[in-house]
Amino acid sequence: MPIKRLFVANRGEIAVRILRTAKAMGIETVIGVSAADKDSMGARMADRAVVLGPAPSTKSYLDVKLVVHAAKATGCDALHPGYGFLSEKPELASLCEQEGIIFVGPRPDSIEVLGDKISSRDLAAKANVQTVPGTDHIVSVEDAKHAAEKLGYPVVMKATAGGGGRGMFKASNPAELEASFERASREAESAFGDSRLYMERFVERARHVEVQIVGDGEGNVVHFGERDCTVQRRYQKLIEEAPATAVPDDVRKRLHESAVRLTSTAKYRNAGTVEFLYDVDRNDFYFIEVNSRIQVEHPVTEEITGRDLIACQLRVAGGEGIGITQDEVEISGHAIECRMNAEDPRNDFAPSPGRITRWTPPQGQGVRLDSHAGEGYLVPPFYDSMIGKLIVRGTDRNDAIDKLIAAINAFELEGIKTTMPLAAFIVDHPDFRNNQITTRWLEDKGLPDYDKKMGS
Amino acid sequence: MSDNSKDVMAIVDLFEQSDWDELHIELDGLHLFLSRNADARLSSGLGGAPAVAAPAAAAAPAPAVAAAAPAAPAATPMASAEPASGGAIPANWTAVTAPNLGTFYRSPKPGAAPFVEIGQMVTENTEICLLEVMKLFTAVQAGVAGKVVQVCVNDADMVEHGQPLFYVEKA
Repeated sequence: MPIKRLFVANRGEIAVRILRTAKAMGIETVIGVSAADKDSMGARMADRAVVLGPAPSTKSYLDVKLVVHAAKATGCDALHPGYGFLSEKPELASLCEQEGIIFVGPRPDSIEVLGDKISSRDLAAKANVQTVPGTDHIVSVEDAKHAAEKLGYPVVMKATAGGGGRGMFKASNPAELEASFERASREAESAFGDSRLYMERFVERARHVEVQIVGDGEGNVVHFGERDCTVQRRYQKLIEEAPATAVPDDVRKRLHESAVRLTSTAKYRNAGTVEFLYDVDRNDFYFIEVNSRIQVEHPVTEEITGRDLIACQLRVAGGEGIGITQDEVEISGHAIECRMNAEDPRNDFAPSPGRITRWTPPQGQGVRLDSHAGEGYLVPPFYDSMIGKLIVRGTDRNDAIDKLIAAINAFELEGIKTTMPLAAFIVDHPDFRNNQITTRWLEDKGLPDYDKKMGS
Repeated sequence: MSDNSKDVMAIVDLFEQSDWDELHIELDGLHLFLSRNADARLSSGLGGAPAVAAPAAAAAPAPAVAAAAPAAPAATPMASAEPASGGAIPANWTAVTAPNLGTFYRSPKPGAAPFVEIGQMVTENTEICLLEVMKLFTAVQAGVAGKVVQVCVNDADMVEHGQPLFYVEKA
């Protein structure tokens, strides 16, 4: 049944983004906001805004019962969770289901299966999608050598009970392996009280590549191409682009097929992202996880496909199907998104909340701004620091890079510090222009170069 | 509907048909104040002076009703209730506001007497109403000592965070 009245359980730019599409589709809208967001753009755009609770998210946006109660009490028949906050909490999907509210997301059991490392790996195996090749427990040096021959060097040994990088040892050849095996198991024993080890292929140079899909819950899945989100700092993406031109065409095709196979096997419903690690040296890829929500970087996919992914979500949730076949998905041009975070990249990315005193965004063909901010907007200190996303579309990657730099330079923004100047520096860096970057590039090379240039 | 309430409704009907702007009645402990001005509030003059919100949502010429009788608890004449709007609130009235969004209940259970009545003295710790969120009921305390002078919300209505539920005249 098509959605009549939608509850938006989120804030910031994604609330605005969802409201924009819902309104265009003729769906009534209600947004639940915190006291701090009472006068936000989302609250003004929605047909109705209700104040859930005080500013802290635990007492407003993160309270499952509060959010569902508000949706019910305002007569909504569907709820969109956006990203972050409760979007991947099975409890929210379950409670909506119990209360007869359409959850614009996957079924609760899908969220659980995909949100768990072990069960999502099992699913990948069932769908014949490769994860990082590895072993079970390894008990002796001889076993380790044997396994490493099969996996191919370099390999990494990890503590079975481990995490956070402790008890991890890399080996590039049999001699290194022999030398580090004892040490690895001793450290595992002392750090975790468990000396057992396992081994994985070590990906020396990795890129983060992800495939956008939409599934209808019946096993039909359409993919919308891939994105490259290799520019990261502490696992936070800063710049995203589509398509992933650093990956050869035939590999991209296999990526798409793998993503569709995996989510189709799960009978996945909703828009979703299948994340892969692309191994530059081996020209191979490994499944990491599925993000069962709309993602921050979805606009770059919309820009190169011309499709509205929020509309796809709302249609699928309303039982109207994906509304588009694979043949109809056409990819043209190149899009890049830069996240606008209210942070100071010259001061270790310290948050920079405050009032925006000047805000004149760039305009023109191929320039898109997804944001809830504006002149006079007070960036509240309670939530994440993203104030928007600047997205450009060009005829090809170089054109898009030039457009992004021009757009950032034209953006008149005062009152707070943002990561935009850094983004302009990154995309103009020869390594980015030549597409020679890896997931460690920003921290190892990009940021040191930026600091040098800025003279700190 | 109690006899008292029926009487009140009848008076409201008569008032609506009249060309009067305001009506005050004091009878057997019942104080009734009707006004065509939706923002009108009874702030003084009716000793002990009860007031139960004013329906504002109704069409323009509809009378604002502020009525209460200790015997006939809040309820009925309120077709809809409005959180008291600015301007008309005396300085010594303090709003008791909703700590979060939820459904407002004046009584501990259906059919039971309300936690508090108009005119009742409360302390900071007095439980004044319930807020329900997905069948979880939380008691709201007055947070201020004084006399309850206004109930701003209809029973079982949804309230938002920060919305005035009661006004208490500070002791």
